[in-house]
Amino acid sequence: MIAFILRRLLTLIPLLLGITLLVFLLMSLAPGDFLTPVRAQRDVPAELIQAIQTEFGLDQPWYVQYYKWLGNVLQGNLGHSWAFKVPVADLIGQRIWSTFLLSLCAFVFSWAIAIPLGVLAAVYKDSIFDRVSAVLAYAALSIPEFFLALVLVFFAAQTGWFPLGGATSIDYDYLSFGGKMLDRAHHLVLPTLALGIGSIASIMRIMRANFLDSMRAGFVATARAKGLRERVVMFKHVLRNAINPLVSAFGFAFSSLLSGALMVEIVLQYPGLGQLMYQSILREDQFVVLASVMLGCSMLVLGNLLADILLAWSDPRIRLERKK
Amino acid sequence: MKEKFQLLSTVVIDCEIARKSVEQSFRAAFVGGSMLRCCSYRIRSYSSIAFSALAAVLLAACGGADDSPGRSVRPEPIVQPIPVDAEVVDFSVGEFGANIIETIEGDVATVNPLVNESVGGSLVIGRILDSLVTMDPKTGEVIPNLAKSWEISEDNLQYTFHLRKGVHWSDGEPFTAEDVVFTWQTFFAKQSDPETGEVMTGEDGRPLYRYNSRSTFGQQINGQEPQVEMLDDFTVRFTTPEVYAPFLLFGGGVDILPKHILYDAYEDGTLMDQWSLQTAIDEPWKIVGLNMFVLETYRPGERMVFARNPNYWKVNTQGERLPYVDRVISKIVPDGNSSNVAFAQGQTDFEFIGPDNVAWVRRGEERFDYTVLDMGPSSSTNFIWFNLNPGKNAEGEPFVAPYKFDWFSDKRFRQAISYGINREGIIRGVFFNRADILNGYVSPKRKFWYNDEVRKYPYQVERSRALFQEMGFEYRGQELFDANGRRVEFTLITNSNNGLRVEMATVFKENMAAIGVDVELQFLDFNTIVTKISDAFDYEACMLGLGGGAPDPYAGKDILMSGGRMHFWYPQQQSPATEWEARIDELMREVGRHTEVEVRKEYFNEVQAILAEQQPFIFLVSAKEYAGYRNRWHNVEPTPLGGVTWNLESLWSEVSE
Repeated sequence: MIAFILRRLLTLIPLLLGITLLVFLLMSLAPGDFLTPVRAQRDVPAELIQAIQTEFGLDQPWYVQYYKWLGNVLQGNLGHSWAFKVPVADLIGQRIWSTFLLSLCAFVFSWAIAIPLGVLAAVYKDSIFDRVSAVLAYAALSIPEFFLALVLVFFAAQTGWFPLGGATSIDYDYLSFGGKMLDRAHHLVLPTLALGIGSIASIMRIMRANFLDSMRAGFVATARAKGLRERVVMFKHVLRNAINPLVSAFGFAFSSLLSGALMVEIVLQYPGLGQLMYQSILREDQFVVLASVMLGCSMLVLGNLLADILLAWSDPRIRLERKK
Repeated sequence: MKEKFQLLSTVVIDCEIARKSVEQSFRAAFVGGSMLRCCSYRIRSYSSIAFSALAAVLLAACGGADDSPGRSVRPEPIVQPIPVDAEVVDFSVGEFGANIIETIEGDVATVNPLVNESVGGSLVIGRILDSLVTMDPKTGEVIPNLAKSWEISEDNLQYTFHLRKGVHWSDGEPFTAEDVVFTWQTFFAKQSDPETGEVMTGEDGRPLYRYNSRSTFGQQINGQEPQVEMLDDFTVRFTTPEVYAPFLLFGGGVDILPKHILYDAYEDGTLMDQWSLQTAIDEPWKIVGLNMFVLETYRPGERMVFARNPNYWKVNTQGERLPYVDRVISKIVPDGNSSNVAFAQGQTDFEFIGPDNVAWVRRGEERFDYTVLDMGPSSSTNFIWFNLNPGKNAEGEPFVAPYKFDWFSDKRFRQAISYGINREGIIRGVFFNRADILNGYVSPKRKFWYNDEVRKYPYQVERSRALFQEMGFEYRGQELFDANGRRVEFTLITNSNNGLRVEMATVFKENMAAIGVDVELQFLDFNTIVTKISDAFDYEACMLGLGGGAPDPYAGKDILMSGGRMHFWYPQQQSPATEWEARIDELMREVGRHTEVEVRKEYFNEVQAILAEQQPFIFLVSAKEYAGYRNRWHNVEPTPLGGVTWNLESLWSEVSE
């Protein structure tokens, strides 16, 4: 097991190297660089631009810049953000909790709703409920996240029931602890909806299909024959078997915890990592972009690893290490 | 709300108790949940794990800010007595304690004035730090600020400033001439060899500076540093290497830094990393200043909160310390449009409104009880220019095709284009009459420097055609051909993210079609444009705008002088390419060299006249400015130069409970 985990983590190294190399190359191909907006300002002395360019190493070819950056990263230094003059790790640390909280809320929200709905749709297959939920699910799947977010912005602006943007209210710092919780929760409602609704639909459809498969399995007949109550058959035996394939979906959900909310954060002005990353890409603040990309990539690998481990744990038929 | 501010420390303690009770109520919720027999045990334990994880994150997010490691405690502010030399502000006496809510466009990147490059950042820093002199928001003259008076020596080389006595920094430390000297030291500190102690120099033989800030190079006068010395605790003297008229405004307008806070960082080389946003989050009280506010809290991407500086040096006519306002809460919004939306919904107190948004913002005036004012012409300008760079690229190809270069460098061609533009049409069609015709380099907002006696280019298609014909061009039907039978056509680039500019370019294309010139429009990303006009030079014509800039004409030297980095049509020339550019260089040097305003004005008038005759810039229009404020504010006296909040310290409002 440990050897398997180590092997999987080792694959991360070439992956990260390749991805960062690609990002560096793409950013060097993009027009302009971090200093371009500064060049467009009328009262910046040419000597200053020259001096900053040398300081940042922007006058060197991209592969030299990459080599230097790599050297720093290997020593555990992700570099300084050029725009913020703050170590990249600190900058990400400032924002990571907001995004994590939002993604987790969306995750809990969508799974908590999708699984029961999927089960009900399977149990009452072909009923009105099943049909309606199918239509809604397809509708939800086909609406892009950012569009849903825009609709929610409009909704919030029209009704005034929910705050527009931000993660806290103006008087947040002066609220009691309970008030802080409520305030955060209030600000989380719309982003959570925007982020969660799409995955409700997909998880629900997967759950329904799995459940239907398991209902046709032989052990269901056995269980019924033993005289178990229908409820026990469904919820204790069928459900446990049907939930297995969702474990791999869980791995994917995990991987998007820190990087999946970019669109929603931008449209709903939620101050998280996605916003920071987007601004950094626009500004060409290289080291921040690289660190965010590495973070997203590592989360993907870790998420998949987690899914595999969970699968092995929950399903005795799966063995991670094949014996020769 | 006010009570809660004072009880901040008790709130932190309450948090501990509250957190426990919240944890308990969560547990109670799970117990209650287990009575609903809808899921198996396994599922319930999954969801309870998820829920408790969620609760833990929420707890961490709410509580985290208060007890993160390494965070020192906010010190109790030391309030010093009102300074002997306090400035008495002559506005009606008001009520203390109201809060201002406003928006900042785009997140701020730093609070360190040596690092800052953004407008939002300057706004924030301008709230906290202050300068020796400032500009009169009504007349545009230089007036006393932290310096109560100054003398300029006979030879116009020495400036002696007398500082206000008894002024204290926001943390209660005294402000003296040492702080002024220290501030200038940071600009010109040199890198020295650690072994020999000698100043290190770059390849060009010029010294390498320790802290490359905008002021390091911007405050040099023709490559030489002004000298600063402290005569006594409250007197500083600056010596400029040559007569340099804008020094009073540019040098005197420098934000003064606190030596007692920043000296250690200056010594150990970390000055540029000070006062970052991490400081703003963890220890905002370390950012001390002399202006009317201090930073209280900063939440990344969300907002900044400023509290009144308890040691501010302005008082009202009754001798009470200003400002009236307790706090300024600045919400961070992505752009000007969202900022205008927030104001139009009555959420913010003061706002600048773009000419394209003013119509719908006005609709809310009664409902949300605010006023929208026409502030007159803005300092922004819009113009077109042709690439007049005769150079060649790396492959030896000329930047501009030689036959087109011949057209562009003929002033009659540029004049003909200028006569062919229907500026009234642009104002009507694009700006809905919320703009003015721009005749020259100086926007009519800068009344003092504006020269109206220059050649103007009204919309006259006949004159335009006549000028083309004078150059030997001929019309075949509606289409214009040059003397060698080549179709007269060029490509105009402009940035795609500016809607007004895109519309102006479209009108321009139609206007040009009417005089037989075929214009192809290319809307590009801003970075691409900047690269093209400042580095690659592979373009024919470009439309851009300039906004703001310091009010002294010498601030435009990089644009107007032929060696300048921003000499749009042909930047960084070794020697002036044309006689008229040589003349402008000469005149601009005189503008910088003389201190008598009338003499300077005469030189600068000639610069404007040459620009109008030669049309290297084909100016279009200047948009109007609009400002709005909620009617609950008193003492609001907007001026075109100072905007609505120039007298922020005197603005007050009844405190609503």
